[in-house]
Amino acid sequence: MAINLYWIQAGGCGGDSMSILNAESPSILEAREDLAIDILWHPSFSQAPPAEHRSLLAGLLEGRIPLDILCVEGAVVRGPENTGMFDTYEGEPKKELIRRLAQRSGIVIAVGTCASFGGVTGAGETDAVGLQFSKKTCGGFLGQDFRSGRGLPVINLPGCPLHPTVMIGALTALTRGLEMELNAFNSPLEYYSMLVHQGCTRNEYHEYRIEETDFGQKGCLFFHLGCQGPMAHAPCNKFLWNRRNCKTRSGVPCIGCTEPDFPREDPYFYTPNIAGLPINLPDGVSRPHYLAYKSMAAASAPERLKHRKTEV
Amino acid sequence: MPAADRRILTIPLNRVEGDLALHLEYDGAEVTNSWSSGIMFRGFENMLKGRGPLDGLVLTPRVCGICGTAHLMAAARALDMLCGVIIPDNAVMIRNLALMAEHVQSDIRHGILMFMKDFLNPIYENESFYPEARLRYEPFRGTSVIKAIQETKRMLEIVAIVGGQWPNSSFMVPGGIATAPTCNDMVSCGYIHKAFSNWYEREILGCTIERWSAITTRDDLETWLAESDAHRRSDLGFFLRCARRAGLDKIGGGHDNFISVGVQDLPPWTGQSLPVSLLSPGFIKKGEKTAFNQARISEHVAFSRFEGYGGGLHPFEGVTRPCVSGTNPDKYSWAKAPRYDDIPAETGPLAEMLVDENPLFSDLVRNQGPTVFSRQLARLTRPARILPFMKKMIAEINPKAPYYTTVKDIPDGRGYGLIEASRGALGHWMEIRDGVIHHYQIVTPTSWNGSPRDANGIRGPWEEAMIGTRLRDPENPVELGHIVRSFDACLVCAVHVCVKR
Repeated sequence: MAINLYWIQAGGCGGDSMSILNAESPSILEAREDLAIDILWHPSFSQAPPAEHRSLLAGLLEGRIPLDILCVEGAVVRGPENTGMFDTYEGEPKKELIRRLAQRSGIVIAVGTCASFGGVTGAGETDAVGLQFSKKTCGGFLGQDFRSGRGLPVINLPGCPLHPTVMIGALTALTRGLEMELNAFNSPLEYYSMLVHQGCTRNEYHEYRIEETDFGQKGCLFFHLGCQGPMAHAPCNKFLWNRRNCKTRSGVPCIGCTEPDFPREDPYFYTPNIAGLPINLPDGVSRPHYLAYKSMAAASAPERLKHRKTEV
Repeated sequence: MPAADRRILTIPLNRVEGDLALHLEYDGAEVTNSWSSGIMFRGFENMLKGRGPLDGLVLTPRVCGICGTAHLMAAARALDMLCGVIIPDNAVMIRNLALMAEHVQSDIRHGILMFMKDFLNPIYENESFYPEARLRYEPFRGTSVIKAIQETKRMLEIVAIVGGQWPNSSFMVPGGIATAPTCNDMVSCGYIHKAFSNWYEREILGCTIERWSAITTRDDLETWLAESDAHRRSDLGFFLRCARRAGLDKIGGGHDNFISVGVQDLPPWTGQSLPVSLLSPGFIKKGEKTAFNQARISEHVAFSRFEGYGGGLHPFEGVTRPCVSGTNPDKYSWAKAPRYDDIPAETGPLAEMLVDENPLFSDLVRNQGPTVFSRQLARLTRPARILPFMKKMIAEINPKAPYYTTVKDIPDGRGYGLIEASRGALGHWMEIRDGVIHHYQIVTPTSWNGSPRDANGIRGPWEEAMIGTRLRDPENPVELGHIVRSFDACLVCAVHVCVKR
């Protein structure tokens, strides 16, 4: 039986939708067909004239049309003064529409970092938050006790943008009832327990502490250029982007866009440090041991790395 | 017309990036007045205040999911200027290459996935083109839709190869680019470009780019269409056939003023095989072209829900203070109104073509004025202009030469970056003071095209383009969808857009 899906865009840029179009093997079209998903509405791609959409929405809100999956892209905008009027639909605050749809839906998916945690939109002056989290704090717009029709919290799929493989994998697991363990931020462990650092082609430079202080070099970007790869949880270097590459491989420091506190307030492309050692160390690492290990590593660095002979 | 016969229609529009509501006065036959309202405010510019000097490279691409590379480039160019750095030729070309790949992607995704779908509107059910429109453009299933998704994502691999990922990379930095594409990277870009160009010629144009480029008049267009089945069967051929059946060459005029900030300047040495700039900048007022000067740009807020000032302010002086309370009924939109010499102007592929004195589009507009037809034709065929330049740049990039000029520190000062994004003129104006961002203003293409009235009470371009439009069915105003989508509205980009009815 077909599963239906309604997609709503709130305080965001539409970049997750654009990212998902890049999905490969399967493409988003193949996945839709395989999973027998009936996309009732997507704001960028649906064709129905306004009147038809109004009646669809009424049917969903009144429960006449049961809703299986609600995808929310973008943060929930609550301002100004909790009116929600910074982001409206047909003159009404979109936040209320999101609340009512979420209450009717079997599954609610937060697509991207804005919908999950507030993200870039949440950093603005519009009092925007994620569906069930506000940065690291559970609660967000719907409250920590919210459960969708199938008894699930909001499934958070962060990323700015969300990686298309994660979207399709999670959608498949949810529609087929496959087991999907969640982390403390209600994101699937399979994708968000690994670090961006894992699989980076610059790992050997990191290992021997061959550090770069400027752009355009082959060494590690963590020590001076603000790369958050060793702290950020995402499969960028496992699935790669657009089948080809990843920011850290190409020389662009990771900005930690899947993290609940993205965007951080510290300046980008700069690593805050004490005596040349980053203040924020790789996830879970103890400082004294790291210090000792890195000094030894630097001392044992092979010449080919010191001279940047190894391509990345 | 007595007021009692008038109606106010409120129409939410989708298939624009972001959401849009139109408020129209309709006298029973045609649109007599219009107010355009984006319905979201995100406050990007204020978000940047006080942040690190390079943070615009991370945050501004997130203004827009479909043209983040353009924002990145505008931000990087503003920083280049502020630092007084000359970037290496390689970096100029890689930046252009990525931006052009994004343009091509955007033109095809907008054209096939968003614009063409209006031909499936029930109002056209009895038209001869309707079954073909269904077959080609039905959401998620149409034959052209499937291919457009397939091919655009391939094109975007070029951005990933040279910049890490698409969307939302931050690989352009003051001084050039942070990446260093290798010989093999450029080879891969070449293969991707070739495959895409083949598809574009075969399916979208139905002819070679060379053949298409030989068309210089409206009559040539007719000749081309009659010339072969391949021409008629292509997406372009379909557009030509049904756009006129649907009357798109009769609607969506406007002020007849155009702005293009020019694009993709190139290193002087490429003058041997490439022009120094691929498109000239300029401003056209009712057919009269003048040189472009960014100092003439200002933003008005008389009808915008921002705390007021008289007239317009240049973006370096601009302030973005939303009125969070109070109900001044005049202020119907939270979009500012950008003006050039205090005049509203349309921007986008058609404006680029006209400012660059392209013969075909000059002929079309001379004869019919700007229309939905000419605007969309310019967009659908822009890749025919861009793709050959991409090919030359891929060949000219030298992986052994530098991609980056070291920038030691970001000094205090001012800079701006102006480029043509997919939807037209984009500008970032920034000031750094005491090592942090002190001021940031962004003027996007949709701010130009979808602006509200200015201090002189003059409507924005697409508000104006709706006036006089006859609606076949006010409950299903497909004509207005055609008009707004011909501007390729991108409401997420109108960064200070919001409305309260």
